[in-house]
Amino acid sequence: MTDTGGRLAAPELLPRRPRGRRGLSFLAGVANWLVTLAITLLGLMVVTFALAELSPADPALHLAGDKATEATYQAARQTLGLDDPLPQRFAAYVGNVLTGNLGTSWSTNQPVFGDIVRVFPATLELATVAILFGALIGVALGVLAALRPRGLIDGIVRIISLIGYSVPIFWLGLLFLLLFYARLHWAAGPGRLSDIYAYTITPVTGFYLIDTALWGEEGSFLDTLSHLVLPASVLAIHSLASISRLTRASLLGELGKEYAVAARAKGVGEVHLMLTHLLPNVAGTVLTVIALAYATLLEGAVLTETVFGWPGLGRYMTTAIFASDMPAVLGGTLVIGVCFVIVNAITDILARIVDPRLS
Amino acid sequence: MTMRFLSATALAGAIALGGLFGAPAAMAATPKDLLIVAQAIDDIVSLDPAEGFELTSVQSFNSLYQRLVQSNQTEPTKLDPVLAESWVVAPEGNAITFKIRDGATFSSGNPVRADDVIYSLSRAVKLGKSPVFILNELGWSADNVDTFLTKVDDSHVKVSWPAKVGPSFALSILSAPVASIVDQKEVEAHAKDGDFGNAWLHTASAGSGPFKIRAYQPHEALVLDANATSPTGAPKLKGIIFKNVADPSARRLLIEQGDADIARDIGADQIAALTGKPGIEVLSAPSAEVDFLGFNAASKTNPDTKNPALWEAARWLVDYEGIAKNLLKGQSNVHQVFIPKGFAGSLDDTPFKLDVEKAKGILKAAGLDKGLTVKLSVINQPPYTDIAQALQATFAQAGIKLEIEPAVASQFYSTLRSQGHEAALAFWIPDYFDPHSNASAFALNRDDGTKTVAWRYGWSIPELSEKTQAAVEEQDADKRAADYKAIQLEVQQKSPFVILLQPNNQIVLRDNVKGFVQGLNADQVYFAGVEK
Repeated sequence: MTDTGGRLAAPELLPRRPRGRRGLSFLAGVANWLVTLAITLLGLMVVTFALAELSPADPALHLAGDKATEATYQAARQTLGLDDPLPQRFAAYVGNVLTGNLGTSWSTNQPVFGDIVRVFPATLELATVAILFGALIGVALGVLAALRPRGLIDGIVRIISLIGYSVPIFWLGLLFLLLFYARLHWAAGPGRLSDIYAYTITPVTGFYLIDTALWGEEGSFLDTLSHLVLPASVLAIHSLASISRLTRASLLGELGKEYAVAARAKGVGEVHLMLTHLLPNVAGTVLTVIALAYATLLEGAVLTETVFGWPGLGRYMTTAIFASDMPAVLGGTLVIGVCFVIVNAITDILARIVDPRLS
Repeated sequence: MTMRFLSATALAGAIALGGLFGAPAAMAATPKDLLIVAQAIDDIVSLDPAEGFELTSVQSFNSLYQRLVQSNQTEPTKLDPVLAESWVVAPEGNAITFKIRDGATFSSGNPVRADDVIYSLSRAVKLGKSPVFILNELGWSADNVDTFLTKVDDSHVKVSWPAKVGPSFALSILSAPVASIVDQKEVEAHAKDGDFGNAWLHTASAGSGPFKIRAYQPHEALVLDANATSPTGAPKLKGIIFKNVADPSARRLLIEQGDADIARDIGADQIAALTGKPGIEVLSAPSAEVDFLGFNAASKTNPDTKNPALWEAARWLVDYEGIAKNLLKGQSNVHQVFIPKGFAGSLDDTPFKLDVEKAKGILKAAGLDKGLTVKLSVINQPPYTDIAQALQATFAQAGIKLEIEPAVASQFYSTLRSQGHEAALAFWIPDYFDPHSNASAFALNRDDGTKTVAWRYGWSIPELSEKTQAAVEEQDADKRAADYKAIQLEVQQKSPFVILLQPNNQIVLRDNVKGFVQGLNADQVYFAGVEK
């Protein structure tokens, strides 16, 4: 038994490693992680490239326009390098990526890297606030529901998560806008910042909560918050559904185990048992779900970003896809892939920290 | 401000308490001298007037740039002198000498010179981007254009052309956005690798229009500042923000709340709901778009689409009135010739209406009454998808099964340019203010590699092409108008095209917005006189 601050933990399943190998195994872990990252990204590039090739849309036509003369159209094909053989184009692309050049977006005419640097903070900010809401409320609801299974609170939580699961997110978004922005004027409308501030502020970090706090223009920070609250709530409701259900299910699963029974026999109260004995033991599982939800949000919640006029990665990618804008689609996919791998790695580390069985 | 501050503080506090909300905020209002326009601006590829050919880019060019001559705001068939003060036509009718407006300057402060005119026109032709075909109409090419542009002195420039067209046609071409005059010194200062400053002008402006670009963030906003020194006078506003709001419902909410002054591209249902709301005005201005159904006579997959009997029957299988009135709720009007109403030479004739029995008779006489199937390509967006479904219903009554094949725009045009469709529901917008813009699309197919609309639908018309060519070369205005009437009637009766509708531009404005003008054509959007 490890000393876990006086709480009962599951018996250790893994043999302890000798201490001296720690540094080595850490390096091996990092190397392993880097290899995973490289393979994931290469796979992503192959799949995305293949999909774009199979798509019937014609990027040259998008660039040249429907009325372009044949000469203009051919010049556009040349510009985009569409006439080079496929393997050559793919190799050129991978070569560029390795040197940090994601190419120029065909639809915005700007470097893809700069585009993504511009849009990604918007999504990151929204996703982070939403996952904080979703995780806190979701875990709390899950614990409440597990205290009295099939009780009144459990029923209410079930209804909340059912709504979160099943209501279309764009509909919920529009409803929120209609109610809290249009009817009640409690929150700001679409966009990230009101027009009086929006084009006078020079973004430093791209995270408007931080930028406006630094900027110190009266009211701009609260204006940002007021714009953030509705889309973040919509996304939070969506993610807390799965978080609360899973928290409840894992807690109930632990309840039947010997250590829980033993704790009860020792006279530990129900709430105390949940919070100090059971919750730490299911933390790993819950964290994984939270991380998955977070990574999904980082892809950019396309519909939410559309409804709320949020200039994030999801909108950028959708527009790029509709314009068959290969460089932007590939660049965006890479960023999302990297996010997933990083979030996974962080989750692994966190799980090891919180779960006594893995440390 | 304090009210907002308080409510937002309350809001923040409430969130901390678990997502409850604070006190109601005051109604937002946009700043007095700043105009907020909510629309989708995702389509912008380039804001260079020699390249930009997307709806949003084209709509902004009148604010940023000026041409030697431009359509009058209220009477578009009349041309007004803008950067040119006056002009003299050469006796041979193939050249015009323009005098540049005295004291005209660009937003940079540089004077507008004959060199700028020559540079701008030659640059647009040599860049060879999407709208270059408009200037090619004058016979200009990258190799010869410089020989047709001559500097007389700093304020006089002679523009001539090899094509056999008259001065009035040439003036129409020179009034198109692609003929905008750019500031040579400013543009060349930003040129890279001989690109004529094209990369820089994607996101910046160097013109003499009433506004200039302050910032452009793709997919986010286009922000314009007033250009107080514009040759035609300073605008009344200090600036305009074109805000990208991709969702039509969100655009509607913004305009209702007063957080936007103007909202564009709002669907028929939403317009109906907004009409009569306090503080809201709906501007319904005719647009120069025509919507049409076409059968591909060169289809490799369907032998029936080249049968003129099918074309003729189709004209009687459209519920024109029903589509315009009930389906599109007045967003479009019935229109059955290819030149839009408002252009010189357009006709009001609407000889066709829904008559299933008549159509059945025509099909029977041609042996097409055994039931046939035609694939109908359509752009995957309203109102085209809605119109396609209405056509499907009425065609079915005569035993013609239309299989609707929706596609995104670039895929749709790719299919049409390779003649891969059987039938298509499409639209056409003129590119400059002259009947030839549409006549050269619908009634010209010389099989010379130019993918006109007539070519795309495999319509072989050697004689009609001659007539169309003669009409553009005709110097007598009355004779020319008569020619176009005859050409339109021939297309109306004999072509594989069924011209259906002419839509209106429906724009929603707050009722305190005065002086906004939306003309017929896509580029004819004027903000200079707007005040709040």
